[in-house]
Amino acid sequence: MTRRLALFVGGAAVAGIAGVMAFGAPSRAQQAGPAVADSIASTYLAASDTADLRGPRQPIFFRHDLHAGQFKMQCQYCHYSVNVSPEPGIPSVETCMGCHAIVAGSDSGGRAEIRKLRQAWSEKKPIEWVRVHFLPRHVHFPHQVHVGAMGPNACATCHGDVSRMPQVFKVNNVNNMGWCISCHVERQVTRDCTACHY
Amino acid sequence: MADEGPTQTLDRRKFLTVLGVTGGGAVALSGCSTSKVEKLVPYLVQSEDQVPGVPTWYASTCTECAGGCGVHVKTREGRAIKLEGNPDHPVNRGKLCSRGQASLQGLYNPGRIKSPMLRSGDSFAEISWDDAIARLATEVNKAAGRVAVLSGAGPGTFSDLLADWTSAAGGTMVRWEPIGHEPIRAASRAVFGIDEVPSHNFADARYIVSFGADFLDGWLSPMEDQRGFAASHGFDGDSARFVSFSPRRDLTGLNADEWHAVAPGSEALVALAMANVIGGAGAAGGSLSAYTPEAVAAQAGIPAASIVRVARAFAAARPSLAVAGGAGNQTRGAVELATAVHILNSVAGNVGRTVLFGSGPTLGDGYEGLARLMGAMDANQVGLLLVHDANPVYALPKSAGFAQRLAKVPFKVCTSLYLDETAAACDLLLPNHHALERWDDARPRPGVVGLMQPVMEPVFQTRHTGDVLLQASQKAGGALARFSAPSYETHLKDAWRSRATGDFDTFWIEALARGGIYPDASADGGSAAATASAPAAGTPALTAALPAFDGDGEFVLAPYPHPFLHDGRGSNRPWLLENPDPVTKLTWHSWIELSTATAERLDIRRGEIVRLISPHGELEAPAFPYPGLHDDVIAAPLGFGHTQYGQFAKDRGTNPLDLVGPPGNATFIPYVSTRVRLEKTGRFKELATTEGNPRQLGRGIAEAMPLDAARRGLTVRQAYIEAGHGKHEINTELEMEAIQGWRDETIEARKLGNYATEHPAWGMAIDLSRCTGCSACVTACYAENNIPTVGEDDVIRGREMTWIRIERYWEDPAPAAHGALDEAGGEHAAEGVTHGHPEARFIPMLCQHCENAPCEPVCPVYAAYHTADGLNGQVYNRCVGTRYCSNNCPYKVRYFNWYKYNERSWPEPLHLQLNPDVTVRGRGVMEKCTFCVQRIRGAQHQARVENRALRDGEFTTACAQACPSDAIVFGDMRDPDSRVAQIRSNPRGYHVLEDTNVRPAVTYLAKVLHPAEA
Repeated sequence: MTRRLALFVGGAAVAGIAGVMAFGAPSRAQQAGPAVADSIASTYLAASDTADLRGPRQPIFFRHDLHAGQFKMQCQYCHYSVNVSPEPGIPSVETCMGCHAIVAGSDSGGRAEIRKLRQAWSEKKPIEWVRVHFLPRHVHFPHQVHVGAMGPNACATCHGDVSRMPQVFKVNNVNNMGWCISCHVERQVTRDCTACHY
Repeated sequence: MADEGPTQTLDRRKFLTVLGVTGGGAVALSGCSTSKVEKLVPYLVQSEDQVPGVPTWYASTCTECAGGCGVHVKTREGRAIKLEGNPDHPVNRGKLCSRGQASLQGLYNPGRIKSPMLRSGDSFAEISWDDAIARLATEVNKAAGRVAVLSGAGPGTFSDLLADWTSAAGGTMVRWEPIGHEPIRAASRAVFGIDEVPSHNFADARYIVSFGADFLDGWLSPMEDQRGFAASHGFDGDSARFVSFSPRRDLTGLNADEWHAVAPGSEALVALAMANVIGGAGAAGGSLSAYTPEAVAAQAGIPAASIVRVARAFAAARPSLAVAGGAGNQTRGAVELATAVHILNSVAGNVGRTVLFGSGPTLGDGYEGLARLMGAMDANQVGLLLVHDANPVYALPKSAGFAQRLAKVPFKVCTSLYLDETAAACDLLLPNHHALERWDDARPRPGVVGLMQPVMEPVFQTRHTGDVLLQASQKAGGALARFSAPSYETHLKDAWRSRATGDFDTFWIEALARGGIYPDASADGGSAAATASAPAAGTPALTAALPAFDGDGEFVLAPYPHPFLHDGRGSNRPWLLENPDPVTKLTWHSWIELSTATAERLDIRRGEIVRLISPHGELEAPAFPYPGLHDDVIAAPLGFGHTQYGQFAKDRGTNPLDLVGPPGNATFIPYVSTRVRLEKTGRFKELATTEGNPRQLGRGIAEAMPLDAARRGLTVRQAYIEAGHGKHEINTELEMEAIQGWRDETIEARKLGNYATEHPAWGMAIDLSRCTGCSACVTACYAENNIPTVGEDDVIRGREMTWIRIERYWEDPAPAAHGALDEAGGEHAAEGVTHGHPEARFIPMLCQHCENAPCEPVCPVYAAYHTADGLNGQVYNRCVGTRYCSNNCPYKVRYFNWYKYNERSWPEPLHLQLNPDVTVRGRGVMEKCTFCVQRIRGAQHQARVENRALRDGEFTTACAQACPSDAIVFGDMRDPDSRVAQIRSNPRGYHVLEDTNVRPAVTYLAKVLHPAEA
């Protein structure tokens, strides 16, 4: 068995933004994904407007449509472990601050949201995002395998075109087993129960 | 945390708060509802060595016994979830016993002291660390030189610091381990003039004789000794013979090819008689002349001819090995016994070959040191007592009077992690970090230094005792002011600087990654022998006689260390309480063993509560008639009867030490020194046993064959036929025809869908000639697969959930093994392979992943089905709990969740140990061994990401990984080069209940019986 043996190195510098930037082969997932009817391409939305948007309201109105859409940031920049782990990885507050220590926002709505982020950083409180996609705990979905096998469209296949979503919502009923099976049938890959259930 | 120093750098880990999906907790099958709000809480600062969803491993050192095994700690999202052996470490080479694995339940134990406490009246009040340290400093100054320290910590930098600190504070430190090995050390002094306990090379020994040494139950270096024993006694073309002389057959004794129930205390005489036979009466300076086999035979109660025969075979096999000195045989004559065995080894030429000096364990001060300390306490010479890593109030016989003397000390400080009996009697509690939370090192023996590093943020508000000492020193000033290291971590590094070759930082990082510094495992064995000297035996004055016993009861009481609970320190860990004692198969409560003949004579039934009375006390416990016991002996396990020590240990069973007299002037605790009277109470208790029928009843479950047949490469069936005991024909021609048709149809049916393409076929091989029944695999399975412990009541109802269990069967000496003996006639005729006593057979029983699995077709919802890669799958979320599968399983390896074990088996913070890769099953779900499918899928995913094929041995199941005897091998049977495929073709291979034609994927290799020499 190969083990990645870690060390407890006291006082080592915490991985900065440079470390995080090392991730990510280019992905065109966001451009190529199917259009989502409810997405709003406007950049002038403030937190107060989110009540009309689909998807759960988040503690900070993080705009996937700006970051992934307009700025064309790769998914892996923030979801850093999606290539190597079953878990995609949710960016640490430090990752956000890598840019937002400098980038303060261009309109009052955006500035207000970024202030929340900076406050969390200075108070050393992680942000409690409301989860949009989740599977029941008797299902194991290895992200790293799917991202590898499905190529550029991998993310959008399940998550939809988040690059056009001001607020992320669930496009596909991913916690319904039929969603998984139909894809596995189509691609003629395993349909063994213990592929996911154990 | 307000403290400075080592924990400061842990800050980033504080924010490890976890992703919802992996964030631990007893999470049951939660259905598919999406209505509830779940939170995703990312790291504030991403730790560079933690990737969510991927385990991070840290190298460390096990501190559960003095063996000092290297461990790898598996952490997920910042919490330790499993301990496995470090494959590079020379002591354990990747293996780990149950006690070592259960260290995790010490870390997450609900009975841990959560913060510093100060006595207020009859209870304790929480205080801050600043106040606690200030108080310690004040009290140390107040005691003004009358400071004493009692430490159970093994040798290492911390022990050195503690000793220095104690002498600077003007006091004395006593290093004491309850089950020490002082008698052996005293004997080494007497015979060889070396103040040392030797280490033993079991692997090279061709003939092993044990005089009660429990080297498979956790004696000197349990992992090393068990590995060596499996190498020599396991069958690999040949096997060493193992003979045991002991009043009780412990797990070690059950692995013996021949057992002699000698009278308690007569072992030394037998050893000397053997030396007499080998070396002649003139050996060892002529002092052996009195110990003729005939004279000894009468005292020991065994035939003289047996002594002569074993002695001759022992001398003829070179090298051989004799060992002595288990606590369960520790009479007042323990030093004489160890001396006799040293002489025996010396006469047989084993010293320097299998008995090695120069590499033995480093010992403490023995009971002698503790007795001195107690004398000082008695004389009011101790103003402050600091107890570190020891629980003398429990581990000493009550008659020794430690508690009374402790009460005389004005101020008592305890650094115990748990509120044990000693801590409860102290004034100031300064809970230490667990070994997995702290910086430390250990020197288990010369040439091996193990390192420990914190693998996670401390679970509670505890603090490293090293830091506490350093901080208190600064507050106290005076002579203590010289302890000025800013933290224990710095102190440890400074202590290591002299070991560095080249740049220290590089050296330190390498040493941490390796888990310490030690010789390469590959060079081990040979090197140990090379460095050991072969000292010549002196001529000690021999005065071996039957030792004295207190009282005038009918029976000699033999308390023995429980294989898992040891001296009682394991009793707060549910894994160790529920994993059945390998010998009696009892769980969760104490018991009293008496021989089956005695039980019959006194009409005492299994489970009948009996009262034992000695001059020092009395106790009650249920009786367990046991065939492996001398008729004059009553045995009882240590480890039960705690009055404190957390919810799992407290008020559980009774402690046989209550009956034992004070050690007096002895340099060790003579556990076996009391005679007891037995009274019936007429009451009964249902035993919490996991044993079904103790006999195989001809079912051929745990098979065995004689050594000769195994050497000639016969199969089990051929060996039976040759011995004139043809088993009934398995699958007659007519049956085969029917089976074949059915099989063809099954194969046809499996050409669809998933089954159409080539897949691995996962399988397992278990070598019963190597398996000792130690049950490390069982604990590993509990840890890996989130198996709930159900508790005493539910074990009584037969609802334990253990996916792999060790079955222990009694077998009368096999006729096949007897054959040759009967022909030889004479003494041997009466003596089977186990001297007429039933032979014990151990067999690990787990889901056999049958190809024609009977459980599968009866499941109405397809929860039990066969995967394309040969697993007998169990889909928890499909299961509706009809239990048809369990009823149809011939091996009884399916387990049903009768209750919400998921909610009650892991009281906080034990739930942090759960493996996030395995579903925690809820009530109403059937579960069973999955061949660790999460490991299979994990390895497949990794191979997929790296775009390569799986390699044999790249991963294995938790049981195979843990097995200290290397008896279990797992892999792809379809790959002809895999280890498992090769082992499966061994002629000793058979399947359990083969005639049911279920075609199991688990192949057992028959045990090999080593008959008595002609």
